[in-house]
Amino acid sequence: MEQIIKKALERGQKTLSEYDSKQVIQAVGIPVTREKLAATADEAVKFAEELGYPVVLKGCSDKAAHKTEMGLVKLKLSNADEVRKAYAEITGKGLDLDGVLVQEMIKGDREFVIGLSRDPQFGPCVMFGVGGIFTEVIKDVSFRVAPLTEMDAEEMIDEIRMRKLLDEFRGSPAVDRKLLVKALVGISEIGYRHNEIAEIDINPVIISGNRPVVVDALVVLNNPN
Amino acid sequence: MNVKLINSYLDSFFNPSSVAVIGASNAPFNLGATICKCLNDYIQYPHPVYAVNRKGEAVHGCPGYTSVLDIPGSVDLAVIITPAAVVPHFVKECGEKGIKSIVIESAGFSEQGEEGGKLQAEINDAVKKHGIRIMGPNCLGVMDIYARFCCFYGAYQEIVDVFNKAGGISYIIQSGGVGVVVLESIMDDIVGLNKMVSIGNKSDVDEADLIEYFSHDNTTVIALYLENVRDGVKMMEAARKTLKPVLVFKSGRTEEGTAAALSHTAGMANNDAVFEAACRQAGIIRLKHISELHSMPKMLTEMPLMAGNRVAVFTNSGAFGSITADLLVPAGLAIPRLNDGTRERLARIGGVFNINNPVDIGPAPPQTYLEIFKVLLEADEVDGLLLASSIWRDFIIDVMKELVKMCKQYNKPAAIYTPNSVTRILAARRQHGLPLFESPEEAVRALAVSYEQFRFRRKKEELYGTDH
Repeated sequence: MEQIIKKALERGQKTLSEYDSKQVIQAVGIPVTREKLAATADEAVKFAEELGYPVVLKGCSDKAAHKTEMGLVKLKLSNADEVRKAYAEITGKGLDLDGVLVQEMIKGDREFVIGLSRDPQFGPCVMFGVGGIFTEVIKDVSFRVAPLTEMDAEEMIDEIRMRKLLDEFRGSPAVDRKLLVKALVGISEIGYRHNEIAEIDINPVIISGNRPVVVDALVVLNNPN
Repeated sequence: MNVKLINSYLDSFFNPSSVAVIGASNAPFNLGATICKCLNDYIQYPHPVYAVNRKGEAVHGCPGYTSVLDIPGSVDLAVIITPAAVVPHFVKECGEKGIKSIVIESAGFSEQGEEGGKLQAEINDAVKKHGIRIMGPNCLGVMDIYARFCCFYGAYQEIVDVFNKAGGISYIIQSGGVGVVVLESIMDDIVGLNKMVSIGNKSDVDEADLIEYFSHDNTTVIALYLENVRDGVKMMEAARKTLKPVLVFKSGRTEEGTAAALSHTAGMANNDAVFEAACRQAGIIRLKHISELHSMPKMLTEMPLMAGNRVAVFTNSGAFGSITADLLVPAGLAIPRLNDGTRERLARIGGVFNINNPVDIGPAPPQTYLEIFKVLLEADEVDGLLLASSIWRDFIIDVMKELVKMCKQYNKPAAIYTPNSVTRILAARRQHGLPLFESPEEAVRALAVSYEQFRFRRKKEELYGTDH
């Protein structure tokens, strides 16, 4: 984690790419999508076959914070031809990419958001809430000041209005709360220990079966450069 | 309760062995003079008070000097109330005199742009050099009922009434205006004041220092009005370490701080949501209305804490049974079904219209009330009571007095609301010293606050032990 951050700061980056952001998050034990960074179309197909179809392809760059709007996200690719076509479209936009991310496609109806921000009076704060594209409209979130205890994490999970989404839901099992608690405490640790990280935005965290998996993430740096 | 000194640098602010009021003169409308008048004429402060002014004249019987340096003997506390531009000069003189505690009431510092900021920096230099502690600037100062000390400027004769009503609440108030409302309101209530501090710009002593001080002195309830927090983490630490209730009303629910937030998180983390979270983590009760600053403490001083969320409602008007029931559930409280045993006991009393919760009676003699209190307070399924009984006969006052005693005996609280006009409620409260609430909303809120304090206290005891 230290190395990723150090390298990004040296390069004058304001954010980490999705791939690097997830590496940082994964380092504190939070489950993220299985994914690999492909440099060629052949490599993308090879990775897709290793992961198993369907897959997602995403253009990966620290300058691509709004990937969907930029046409850099291709979902539900179910064979090699579709992967090649998506690869060509993403790389054909003339952007300076680190590569193309080949990612397992996570299915689940329940989406959450986890975040880290810094308050001028209270320092690093962790956010939890209902995620997905409607996050900012629904505004069903709770906060805790870092460092978080497990009890703090439990309480903030219970504070959201739609907490019932965490129970058994439309045939899906109840969410593994221990994993969620671990994720929130982990994000708190990052915020408390790494002043060079200004914000983290993890959205969505999709519940796959009973397991929360980070599907997209953005780490924003405090870059003095 | 007597003056309790806790050997803190803050003692001199509350119970100074001598005071110099810098800027008190006999000029018309002089604010410093009102402080001398209050100390000498109204509350008769039992220690020397000096006035410092250009002419060196005595003010309201306080001997006058042209400089603190001319005052014979030592001075424990200086109160500066002069134009901002000359405050740094007086702070330096206090430093030379060896005064370690200064209240700066003058306005015109960091709250007023660059020029004020420069003056503040000059003060900070002098403070550092001489090891001085500052309250303010831009504040009303300090009031300590047990020490009979008050340096609020502009105090009226009525301040004497406040001093005759000593109690356990200590207030930390970031606004003189709110301080006045609280002082006037507690005169209509049954709880008394211990200390009040108006902290103003809090350039040095801040809310966290005072929470810590009040956690060690004879304060029973700590209540704050805040507009901003100086050091959030320090405030949380201070609140975590006390088992006394800490209540806060904070204004300024600011919207999204910085423009063009890059991520969702930054956009949604308005200061207020974080403040709310910090309160929950540190065991601070966040008040919803400014009036709760004076209305809630009595629930914490006059009644045991509520150890669960199950409330039995008892009323002599069916309407108030359902009105209060509607309010209890959204407040996070429950209206449990009474056990068969409890219902049988209620049925045996006679005169009970409804033996279910809310319990409802018709015109009944005092003994019926007392028997129902007993049954409900003894019920295992009930953690607290909400009494909504109008004062339709004088004996209702007597049964309410009895209920207060029984609550202590059974270690369960009751929030009492009498469905009468507010004027009548206030009169009964003052005359009989009963902890009456002024509306069903307030009574329900009092139960919720009691239960919240119970949970905070239990959590703090688990984490930090019981001996603090």
